Amino acid sequence: MKRAGTYSGILSGGISGRTGPHLLPLARIKKIMKKSSDDVKMISGEAPIVFSKACELLIEEITKRAWNITVQGKRRTICKEDVASAVITTDTFDFLVNLVLDSANSQDSPRP
Amino acid sequence: MEEVPKTTCTSWTAQQAAGNFSNNSTGRERRHPGNTTTGLVTPVVIGSGTNDPNNPIPHQTFKREQDQYVPIANVIRIMKRILPAHAKISDDAKETIQECVSEYISFITSVANEKCHQEHRKTITPEDILYSMEKLGFENYIEPLTLFLNKYREQDMERNSVLAEPFTRRAVRFVQPQQPAPIAPAPTMPTVHHQNYIYPSAINNYFGQTMGGNGECSSSSGAGPTNAEFNPYAQFK
Repeated sequence: MKRAGTYSGILSGGISGRTGPHLLPLARIKKIMKKSSDDVKMISGEAPIVFSKACELLIEEITKRAWNITVQGKRRTICKEDVASAVITTDTFDFLVNLVLDSANSQDSPRP
Repeated sequence: MEEVPKTTCTSWTAQQAAGNFSNNSTGRERRHPGNTTTGLVTPVVIGSGTNDPNNPIPHQTFKREQDQYVPIANVIRIMKRILPAHAKISDDAKETIQECVSEYISFITSVANEKCHQEHRKTITPEDILYSMEKLGFENYIEPLTLFLNKYREQDMERNSVLAEPFTRRAVRFVQPQQPAPIAPAPTMPTVHHQNYIYPSAINNYFGQTMGGNGECSSSSGAGPTNAEFNPYAQFK
C-alpha cells in the first residue's frame, strides 16, 4: 500500500476508474481471504485485485463448461447438476468436488 | 439434515483425506451475536421443491450468510457476459458457483499463506497467489493475471506520479486563465510553499472542482506552458 486512501479509493471505484473497474468487491474478497485460516495476518493491497480477476476467470471457466453440458442435454437453463458435472470432469476443480456434491446431497429432494 | 463439522481451510489434503471437508462452514462460526443457533444457518421451510415440478415434496432450505461469498449479482453479471443471450441460469447453479468462488479464494489463500510462513513473511503478496495457482494447476490463469497485474501497476504508478509531483512543476502545467481575474485575498486557500505563487482565482481555475489535498488533479495533466513561458505576474502588471 503506497499511501492511505489508495485501497479505499479502489474500493469506491474512485480515481475515475484509472485502475479499471473491478467486477468483484475487493473488501469482500479480502474478508474471504482472512477467513480462510486463522493465521492469515497481512494481505498486500494488490492481492484482492489479482483475486478479482482470477475469480472472474474461474467463473467464466465453470460457466463455459457447465453450459456445454447444458447444450449437450438440449436444454437452455444451466442447472446445479450441470455445474456439478463441469466441476467433476475437470481435474483442477477437484477441490470443489466435495462442495458441489455436498450441496447436491443436502438440498435435492429425495427422488422416488 | 446432519450437521456438518466446521473446519477452516488450513490443511486441504488432511481434511480431504478425512472425507468430511465442508468448506461452506468457514464463515459460519463468526455469526452475529444475536444468532441463537449454534452457527448453522437458519432453516426455513419452503413450499414445494422449486426445481422439480414432478416431485412436490416440501424441503428445507437455509438462509445463507452472504458475507462469506462474493455478491451474487456480480457472479451473475460475469456469467451472463460469456453466455449467449438466450441462456438461462437456475438459482441454485448461481449459488453453487458463488460458493465455488469463495472456496477458490480460501484454497489459494491457504496455500499462499503457507508459503509466506515457510519464508517467514507476514504479508501475502500477489506473487504468492500466482505461485499457489501454478502449484494447484491453474497455470493457464497465470499469464492473463500477470498482464492484468502489470497493467494495474502501470496505471497505479502513473496516478501516483501525477499526485506526487512537486507543486512547482504542477504550477508550470497550469493553463493561463482566460480573463484577467480580480485579485482577491485568499484567506481560505491552503498555504503551499512553492516558487511560483498562483493567485486564488487561478487556483480555482486550475483545480476545477474542489481543492482537496489528495483530490484528482487530472484536468491539467496534459502538456502546458514551460517554465520559461509561464509568468504568473503577467496579468497583474
